[in-house]
Amino acid sequence: MRNGTTLLLLAAIAVAGVAYLTLWEPSLAPAAPALTSVSDAPSAMVIFPVGEKPNYEGVGMKPVVFNHLVHKNRVENCESCHHTGETVACTTCHTVEGNVKGKFVTLNQAMHTLRILPQADRNTPQSCVSCHTKQLQKPKCAGCHSIVKPTRSEIYCNVCHSVTGLTKADIVDGIAGKLSDERKAELAANTLKARKNPVQLQPTDGPYKVMIDDIADKYKANMFAHRRHVNSLMGRIKDNALASAFHNQPTTLCSTCHHNRLLASASPKCGSCHSQRANPDPATPARPQLKAAYHLQCMGCHKGMNVARPLNISCVTCHKESEGQSVARAAEKLGEK
Amino acid sequence: MNRRKFLAILGSAGVASALGTSKVAKAGGGTHTWPYYENSYGILHDTTRCIGCRNCEEGCNKVNNLPKPDNPFNDLSVMNKSRRMTPTAWTVVNKYELDGKPVFRKSQCFHCNDPACASACFAKCFQKQPNGSVTYDDSQCVGCRYCMIACPFYVPSFEYDDAWDPRVVKCTFCELRLKEGKLPGCVESCPMDALTFGRRADLIKVARARIKDNPDKYTDYIYGEWDAGGTAWMVLAPIAPDVADKKHSRIETGHEFKELGLDTHLGNRPMGELTYGALGAVPMIVAFWPVLFGGAYAISKRREAIHMAETEAIVRETKEDVVNAMDAAVRKIAETQGPGAADAACQAMADAMKTREEACAHCGHHGEDK
Amino acid sequence: MAHNIVIPTKDKLFNLSEFFSFTKGNILTAFILGGGLIITFIRFTQGIGSVTNLSDVQPWGMWIGFDLLCGVSLAAGGYFTTVACYVMGMKHFHSAVRPAVTTAFLGYAFVVVALLYDLGHWWRLPYMFFFPGTTSVLFEVGLCVATYLTVLFVEFSVAPCEWLAAKFPILLKWRTLVNRSTIILTIFGVTLSTLHQSSLGSLYLIAPRKLYPLWYSPFLPMFFFVSSMAAGGSMVIFEGMLAHKSVHHYMDATHLKEADELVFSFSKAVSFILFAYFMIKLIDMLVQDNISYLCSGYGALWFLEIFGFVLLPAFLYAKGSRDRNLRLCRFAAANTVAGIVFNRFNISMIAYNYDLPSAERYFPSIWEIWISCFVVTLIVTVYRFIVYHMPVLYEHPNFQDAH
Repeated sequence: MRNGTTLLLLAAIAVAGVAYLTLWEPSLAPAAPALTSVSDAPSAMVIFPVGEKPNYEGVGMKPVVFNHLVHKNRVENCESCHHTGETVACTTCHTVEGNVKGKFVTLNQAMHTLRILPQADRNTPQSCVSCHTKQLQKPKCAGCHSIVKPTRSEIYCNVCHSVTGLTKADIVDGIAGKLSDERKAELAANTLKARKNPVQLQPTDGPYKVMIDDIADKYKANMFAHRRHVNSLMGRIKDNALASAFHNQPTTLCSTCHHNRLLASASPKCGSCHSQRANPDPATPARPQLKAAYHLQCMGCHKGMNVARPLNISCVTCHKESEGQSVARAAEKLGEK
Repeated sequence: MNRRKFLAILGSAGVASALGTSKVAKAGGGTHTWPYYENSYGILHDTTRCIGCRNCEEGCNKVNNLPKPDNPFNDLSVMNKSRRMTPTAWTVVNKYELDGKPVFRKSQCFHCNDPACASACFAKCFQKQPNGSVTYDDSQCVGCRYCMIACPFYVPSFEYDDAWDPRVVKCTFCELRLKEGKLPGCVESCPMDALTFGRRADLIKVARARIKDNPDKYTDYIYGEWDAGGTAWMVLAPIAPDVADKKHSRIETGHEFKELGLDTHLGNRPMGELTYGALGAVPMIVAFWPVLFGGAYAISKRREAIHMAETEAIVRETKEDVVNAMDAAVRKIAETQGPGAADAACQAMADAMKTREEACAHCGHHGEDK
Repeated sequence: MAHNIVIPTKDKLFNLSEFFSFTKGNILTAFILGGGLIITFIRFTQGIGSVTNLSDVQPWGMWIGFDLLCGVSLAAGGYFTTVACYVMGMKHFHSAVRPAVTTAFLGYAFVVVALLYDLGHWWRLPYMFFFPGTTSVLFEVGLCVATYLTVLFVEFSVAPCEWLAAKFPILLKWRTLVNRSTIILTIFGVTLSTLHQSSLGSLYLIAPRKLYPLWYSPFLPMFFFVSSMAAGGSMVIFEGMLAHKSVHHYMDATHLKEADELVFSFSKAVSFILFAYFMIKLIDMLVQDNISYLCSGYGALWFLEIFGFVLLPAFLYAKGSRDRNLRLCRFAAANTVAGIVFNRFNISMIAYNYDLPSAERYFPSIWEIWISCFVVTLIVTVYRFIVYHMPVLYEHPNFQDAH
């Protein structure tokens, strides 16, 4: 056994490597206990639309169950949200009507506004939506989200504005600040338990490859690796809680590209709306022509995700030159010589 | 000249001046308002979409039958140097750096709403067409190149090497193709729709919508909406990251355009208006100067006349004095020395006067010579 | 006693002998004209680009900056002198009118000649009357220059009439007609001059972002007009100085006697004008809040222009006319003329396109400069021809009653 020692050594290194990669994992886990071992900060809570005007009927903006614990661990420090430095509830200052304490910034604005003036002398506040919107700039999100913006539909609102088992009396009491802590905790716990992220379509539900040949002319048709792209996109956001919560339809991810073609074979093809127009179409100036529609999707996503490859001016990386074109180019070269 | 003829002349003068100002009058209240042509076309150049592929240059070259350039259009190394339009390249794409990232911008004629070139041309070669294009008719071009001075975008180029028919050359908006219902060559060949063709009014809405939907992507400004009185070609620029961070402060909005080589200080009035004040003074001077100088002439003439009269009076008085004195002297001589001596004295004095007068006449003539 | 010179064309029609002597001046003239003709040939057969450094960003160079802008403003002596003599009634400057009108006429005529070099389709120059672009400042310039050139031609035509009257007596009628309408021509002339002198400045109003802010001003037309008055007065003195050196023997006693008085009188007037010009330039700079621009290379140029070529000659003129110092006045005149050229160069070339990278900036080619010299030499040569043949610097004995 001439190479026995070497082989043994290599095997030992391999085992050590595997052990390192697998066994160290749990030792990183203590981060998780930290999630629970916080001081006296609440874990999940219900935010009621507190206002000065009495609300006897229990109507108005739906309360929100806010998982404080999860958010707390994702921000730099408490001041990111508690912008005054005091760790008090938002509704202390920001009420539905707005008041002098909150500088007349209403609860709605405080939670949703995107236009926040940077403060020169103190902490610039954030709203729920402004912070969530900022998350879309992460490369793993920015691919699609440089092309599409979240639709502000009822489903979108309900991601936050839904409390399981809420009664009118709870709302009235909650707004008045009379709801017992036990009831609040119960509501929050029930809601979190009931929250279920929508199931997304899986990469295997789509085709393996797609031939894009609508405008094959100068270049040959492109064989688009559909499943590889979907796999890659889904893999990146698999564990992202924000994406899981807000991608609220099975086809949400698909709809970036298939924005009007919801996967049924009867729905329109791209070319139905995106004409290969040779004539000006002043009626719909904003609608890209077919070629541009493809390019804007592909390149927009690649650019958003900082995918360096392929170079967006190197046509032949994606499209093989057609025979006619290469012959013409060769002829041109000969002519030049 | 009878009264009728006079009125006719007056009338034609009125018409002439009205023609000169009809453009202003049409706009209402003496101010230019946009749009002059409501349904004119325009193009929106979205530099965030442009990938610098030079397909537009190739398309322009092809549809306008321009000579093939030395370097093929797929040679992107030309981007390393700043280029400008030439008589054989009516549009060029240049690369700019915005915070280290390359941004491409296509240059060509902006087809102003109220073009400086048309205002400056003294042979009426340039015309803003109802379809939005600014056209140039070389058949009456004198070749003075004042249009090139006037153009705030340095667009027109000139065939300096042509001795017999040197023309000013610029992008035509593919005016002939527009009339055939086709898109301009560059727009048709753009693979990214970085060039969007449409009615100018719609394009502004499109641009607004893009800015609104992507506040972190676009600078909040449509270059050409108002610049230099508004242009048919408009440009959207990406937002520089440092501004994107504090995007709501808006203090430095627009510096991106400067970095894309666009002048953001042209003002929102047509460049031609800058000369209207000076041109408006022309009738004033024509009317007022003759009065002023005619008056000065009359004053100097009158002063001369008065001076002349005064001089004559003095001369006359002096002459009378001399005659009287001589008379008295002769009478005295006659009294004291008798008439013979008086005659002799008389003769002597007359001789002396004559000589003197002759001499004086000489000086007088000489004096007049001045 | 009236005339102490021999009338050169009393008995013969031509007096060309002076051109054919081998003096330094004649040789230089022949050299410049010969070279100029060759460049002219190249320019008109190979295109503007073959002899100039003009580019798409600098469409106007030496030929506009010097030949047109300086040419027109330096030819302002015509209206300046005629107004002084006829309108203001300074009859004792009568002998200066004809030389001034002659040089003004030549100046304008050769401005048009030089312009043909610069125009792409030079043969279409009259097109501006057929397709008048009334919104254009250049149209106003063209119209006024064309009209004023005609007026100057009429004013000047008296001299050739007197020269040729012996051969063609019919010309005497024309001469009488012109003499009768002197004052109308003068007032017409000053109106047209005001218009186009100022309009030359207005040309640049349309390019506010191309001209350095120290020179760009909404008052450019006023600056051009006021400085043209100073240029006109100074040019009369300056030309007088040159004429005294070269064609002294064609001046009669009256001319010589009045010349010095004219210098002092004009010096005083130009001194006032230059002070006024200095003040409006200064106030304009302050009003436009251009102080921050003064601390740059262009600021230094501006200072040089304003102090070295406006205020300095203003003082020199004032002192010269007070002390009756002919040399000082003449120096001030040369200084002012140089200042006008400097100012026009700044506006048309040096401070123009200031924002462009230096590689794209303009410097005239040697051939452009040569053509400019060629045109100046042509003016001098034609001036000499006129002086040798026509009663410009002297009075023709047959027409002494002219005034």
